Amino acid sequence: MTDMLNEVQDIINIPSTTLRILLAHFNWDKELLLERYYEYEGNQERIFADAHVISPFRSAEHCKQQTSCSSISCEICCSSHSASFMTGLDCGHIFCKDCWATYLAVKILDEGMSQMISCPAFDCRIIVDDSLVMQLIVDKHILQKYQHLMTNSFVECNSLLKWCPAPDCHHVIKLEYKETQPVKCDCGREFCAECSEPWHDPVKCMHLKKWLKKCDDDSETSNWISANTKECPKCLATIEKVGGCNHMVCRNQSCKHEFCWVCLGPWDPHGASWYNCNRYNAVDARKARDIQERSRQMLQRYLFYCNRYMNHLQSLKFEHKLYARVKRKMDEMQCLNMTWIEVQFLKTAVDILCQCRQTLMYTYVFAFFLERNNQSIIFEENQADCEKATEMLSEYLERDITTASVAEIKQKVQDKYRYCDTRRNVLLKHVHEGYDEDWWEYFE
Amino acid sequence: MSSISVTRIQRELKDIKSECSGQNIKIELYNDEYTNLRGEIVGPPETPYHGGVFKLIIKIPESYPFNPPKVSFETKIWHPNISSVTGAICLDILKDQWAAALTLRTVLLSLQALLSDAEPDDPQDAVVARQFKENKRAFLKTAKFWAQHYAHAPGPVDKDCVEKLKKATEMGFFKDVSLEALSKYSWNLETAIQHLTN
Repeated sequence: MTDMLNEVQDIINIPSTTLRILLAHFNWDKELLLERYYEYEGNQERIFADAHVISPFRSAEHCKQQTSCSSISCEICCSSHSASFMTGLDCGHIFCKDCWATYLAVKILDEGMSQMISCPAFDCRIIVDDSLVMQLIVDKHILQKYQHLMTNSFVECNSLLKWCPAPDCHHVIKLEYKETQPVKCDCGREFCAECSEPWHDPVKCMHLKKWLKKCDDDSETSNWISANTKECPKCLATIEKVGGCNHMVCRNQSCKHEFCWVCLGPWDPHGASWYNCNRYNAVDARKARDIQERSRQMLQRYLFYCNRYMNHLQSLKFEHKLYARVKRKMDEMQCLNMTWIEVQFLKTAVDILCQCRQTLMYTYVFAFFLERNNQSIIFEENQADCEKATEMLSEYLERDITTASVAEIKQKVQDKYRYCDTRRNVLLKHVHEGYDEDWWEYFE
Repeated sequence: MSSISVTRIQRELKDIKSECSGQNIKIELYNDEYTNLRGEIVGPPETPYHGGVFKLIIKIPESYPFNPPKVSFETKIWHPNISSVTGAICLDILKDQWAAALTLRTVLLSLQALLSDAEPDDPQDAVVARQFKENKRAFLKTAKFWAQHYAHAPGPVDKDCVEKLKKATEMGFFKDVSLEALSKYSWNLETAIQHLTN
């Protein structure tokens, strides 16, 4: 932030406090600021007015007016103070320092404002600059909060800066270019630069967001309800059918409506001719059945993908335990005359295993939104291959690792993880190619 | 209560007593606490509220004057920017446009100005605002009758209103409820009664 300030200040010679407000007004886009500044060459008053600051070329006149009498009454607390205790912005409205401090504290703590705090005088929109805040606020916590809010507004407005999403991590990541890409924070967290979720190749941010929302809400509960229940046609109570008989009597004591489960019509006309319920074939009834059918299918489809997604997520959590076991094994091997560098293959194997699981997990999200076509069949083949290889690696690392001789283990593990990694890359490459070539068609 | 807000209120009360005797506004303490005040404004001339005395409830927050006072009408009033039911006020300086340098005196003067100059496009009471825009005559009639009925505004009372209100009360409805229904339906007795019976 300071770099940018200095850079612009070299070009335009105005006080840094004013410049900061101007930059904030232009959402920290220095090119835009410079462009406007020179566009209105000679009439820069307007830019200053839009940003709610007093032009630094004009402020000198005001200062002279202020210091005329020795004791002034503050308009906020209504008590008199010596002129030296009164302060204000270049707009000429002055208040006592105590009132200023309380005013700023209320704005910063209660309203969470930093850039946009204006002069406390009525209808005066001149913005308070940071040097005044620094000078008036003594409480360290408030200052800290102020600085935090300032930085936050700077980061939020700058599309090349991202807060690390890890809890309690206060790092900001600077991106080289604006595009979906994985970034790694110094704290170790790897995330997507666009949506701040963990890196989710190959599925797109938009689809991942939709998926996570779907998993979060209870929309699936309602899906279940619509797949397995019907409403009483009279009192609209939701009914789950548990017996075989289609002659329904609503259990709602104030309703007790009798109806047919199949066509939802009243029971009376069915009478003896029930077993070829003529309404069953009516267009309406069929439509209602189709809707139920579709909703049931959607639920099953979701459960299919969700199951596999959750499964990999679960396994991924368990693989972290594997790191501990592998580490023990590596220590053992080092005792058997192997060097540190020689045993690193095991850790690499687990790294690759985790990567594969993560990729596979997100391919199920991708697949959920995917409409079936020729390319999607190839994708599924690739996914199956990768999954098979991953499971084999996982199994080998968990079970067979203790029995065979060291050289044999190394050979096998390396073979397996290299194969896994190849399959994973093939899978990803195919999906990316599909994005470029527009192969993929989506649901909804 | 913070010391700034107490000294500020004390000072404001003193100023109002000395400066505002001619301006038809009044503020006093309510059970000796500086958090709870009562105000009074007189309806300005050339408005349907002319001469009516409107009582206000003023609550001073802990953080006054850095946050605005909470003001509402205690006297019922028919006005697009004031709720005819609760007396809540829609006025920018009582919300986001509040500035620490404003005072209770300026708030009351602004309210008086609001009575002379309603803003039906930013309404608090949608029913009143619609009547204001669609049937100005009925609005003026209602606002004047309310001012006379609740705020003791002087002048001859509209006979039509009195009669209709009397008819509704004779049917067994409470006076306030009847007046509200009649006002809402622009003094159409039939629809008002229909609304009341439903």
